[in-house]
Amino acid sequence: MIKRLAKSRGLRRFMRSKIAMAALAVIGLYFAIAILVGVFRVITPADATVRVLPSRYPGFLQTPTLDKRFEVAQWFIDRVETKLNFAERRKTDVRPLLDELALVERTVAELPPERLRQLIDEAWEVSDEAGEGFDLRDDLLDDLDDATRELASHRDPDTDTATLRPVEELRAFIQGKRAEVQASSGEIDSALTRLEAVVLRIQPLPTGWAGMKYTFRTFLGSDYGGSSISINAFYSIKVAFQVGIVTATICVFIGTVLGAAAAFFGGWVDHTVMWLVSTMSSIPYLVLLAVLVYMFRGTYFDTTSNPFLSLVPLYTAFCLTFWVGTCRVIRGEVLKIKELEYVQAATSIGFGRFYILLRHVVPNATHLMFINFSLLVIGAIKSEVILTFLGLGVKGQPSWGRMIANGQQEVINFAFWEIGSATVLMFGLVLVFNIVSDALQDAFDPKHVT
Amino acid sequence: MTQPVAQPLLTPDRTNGQPLLIVENLVKHFPVRGGVFNRVVGHVHAVNGVSFSINRGETIGVVGESGCGKSTLGKCVIRLQPCTSGKILYEGADITSLSHADMMPYRRKMQIIFQDPYSSLNPRLTVNALLREAIKFHHIVPTSEINDYIVHLIETVGLRPDVRSKFPHEFSGGQRQRLGIARALAVKPEFIVADEPVSALDVSIQAQVLNLLMDLKDKFGLTLLFVSHDLKVIEHFCDRVLVMYLGNLVEELRCDKLHDEALHPYTTALLGANPINDPDQRRPLVVLEGDVPSPFNPPIGCAFAGRCPKVMERCRHEMPPLESKDHGQRVACWAVD
Ligand SMILES: Nc1ncnc2c1ncn2[C@@H]1O[C@H](COP(=O)(O)OP(=O)(O)OP(=O)(O)O)[C@@H](O)[C@H]1O
Ligand code: SF4
Ligand SMILES: [Mg+2]
Repeated sequence: MIKRLAKSRGLRRFMRSKIAMAALAVIGLYFAIAILVGVFRVITPADATVRVLPSRYPGFLQTPTLDKRFEVAQWFIDRVETKLNFAERRKTDVRPLLDELALVERTVAELPPERLRQLIDEAWEVSDEAGEGFDLRDDLLDDLDDATRELASHRDPDTDTATLRPVEELRAFIQGKRAEVQASSGEIDSALTRLEAVVLRIQPLPTGWAGMKYTFRTFLGSDYGGSSISINAFYSIKVAFQVGIVTATICVFIGTVLGAAAAFFGGWVDHTVMWLVSTMSSIPYLVLLAVLVYMFRGTYFDTTSNPFLSLVPLYTAFCLTFWVGTCRVIRGEVLKIKELEYVQAATSIGFGRFYILLRHVVPNATHLMFINFSLLVIGAIKSEVILTFLGLGVKGQPSWGRMIANGQQEVINFAFWEIGSATVLMFGLVLVFNIVSDALQDAFDPKHVT
Repeated sequence: MTQPVAQPLLTPDRTNGQPLLIVENLVKHFPVRGGVFNRVVGHVHAVNGVSFSINRGETIGVVGESGCGKSTLGKCVIRLQPCTSGKILYEGADITSLSHADMMPYRRKMQIIFQDPYSSLNPRLTVNALLREAIKFHHIVPTSEINDYIVHLIETVGLRPDVRSKFPHEFSGGQRQRLGIARALAVKPEFIVADEPVSALDVSIQAQVLNLLMDLKDKFGLTLLFVSHDLKVIEHFCDRVLVMYLGNLVEELRCDKLHDEALHPYTTALLGANPINDPDQRRPLVVLEGDVPSPFNPPIGCAFAGRCPKVMERCRHEMPPLESKDHGQRVACWAVD
């Protein structure tokens, strides 16, 4: 079989296309991630929901503002202090309580409670310092604001310029204040840096392998619930692949069987299949998908947490709608092939109809099965994302659709990674599958095949 | 209208006077569908009541213009297509409506070689696979000898045995046609329909393939139904010729009498279209004008009436019957008495 495939000219032409090979390599990469996630459980659905950072922590390429840094540092100190106080009141061991605060690999330092208390006090001190810095800066900013407004009033003909400070003086004042604000920001920054150093001693960053894992979890920041955006985005690759490949496999199978049977046997088989095809394609597919998914509401598949079974409503909806295109294409091809002379030659040998169909007709339509498979993967992934975006699709595990839906509100705060990572990964996957489909189509174009 | 079945003994018959194949009044109509409800709106009359017989070891040519139903006739005779009506007798047995299973022994005995060497070989099968499946299916040789037999077959059709693992697209048109012949020979048939086996090939290769075919015919004692639109090739290779026009058999005669005794105006016109080698030989040149009528709604009278130089009033209303003449010749024309 492999030897036979390698000899196919279409396939050789396909392999000569450099861009298609590059696209195939990218698909391989995506597929490897999907396998790592799906089969080797490198990332579990729980990983995607666990808290890795405070809410909406900025990721790669997003410098956090001073206020955000202050808020984050206080969040870290506050959590530990609450647990310490609680343990003191109850006179219980604080360690189990502190372990609850672990951000996956990033645990609270293994220090005696007294030492932790010390660090926290130190942290509050620095924090107060930073707070004062913020107050000072706010005052300065207020002054700056007033002066700026006064300067603007000079140009207003209705105001009495005599009551205002002269323009020159105001200009100098504003310049001075600006420098002061800058200096105060620098002070806040240094205070925050010290504060963050203390925080790192209370809850240090993990090192080694754990450190790498934690970096991977946090490099795109966190979403509203503090869970990792990168983990969500990468887990979604598995979901997309799973939906794409399961759907495409089943649809190509159904489409090929029905299309080939319709064309080869004709008569009532053809009539029935074509009736089904035209009925299915006369219904707007998104509406049909929504209805089918709704029909699964409240069933076992709707409530299960099994990452495969919970997608059954989606598979069902896709498989019921997507086989139609493949069926039509295969039917056309088989209608053409069955009139070819080598099929008549097989009949003249005396072979049965099923043997001829399976040995002489269908193998000559395999290139269409490949092309359709590739196109169906794209279709299924896009539909999965759309349905999930609408709240009808994937449940209980991350999906790009959900990330895009949630990320919408966050974009306003310059938190673009949630929507960005989902869009980029999906774009990449759809693009490479498109390139491969195109290359397959070119390679097997009958215009070249003689 | 039943036509007399001629059983001429032109070539020495090796089957005690019984022809290998008798075709009686074969009719093939293709339904034409149309309209909103895909109803049958009419029929293409591809073959219109053709009768003939073939003796064992004989080569019969079928000649006619494109679309006159030559291929359809050939395919109906070996039951590749069901015929609308008529009878096909093979060695005296009626095979017209045998079931798939009952047909099996006859499938082995009757094979076909196609016109187009490009669509007549499955592009997915190697030469080896192609021949092996047919040989195995009919248990032509014991399994242990299949490989030797395949090599033998390939050599028989003039190819090197190392082509066995190749795919059809690795061959030239002539080589492919040789493979088509090998495939037909693989099941050791008695009767072969050669449907314009060389018309898609280069002239230089045509002769090679034709010679091969004739050598094999002698070697294996085959009986051939040789379809062609080239009267010269038929004249050279066949014993008798059937001239077809628009689904009708208009003349049947011995090839060696072709130039002297052809009676039907269409046959004469076909002869005129062929250049003659002998410069001393003269023949009135008839140039055909006009088109062949459509096989969908064929004319009532003689189908050739629109182009016939000898056309009479009667020709337009009445179909001329096929009448027997000397030497087993048969002709359908009002102008011949
Ligand atoms: N499967 C089919 N369905 C409908 N009509 C057909 C079919 N096969 C052949 N015909 C019609 O029957 C007529 C005879 O066709 P056929 O192929 O027998 O001609 P032919 O003499 O072999 O021509 P050529 O020399 O071009 O091969 C043609 O008019 C053709 O259009
Ligand atoms: S029957 Fe009439 S039209 Fe037909 S071939 Fe003879 S003379 Fe010509
Ligand atoms: Mg033909």
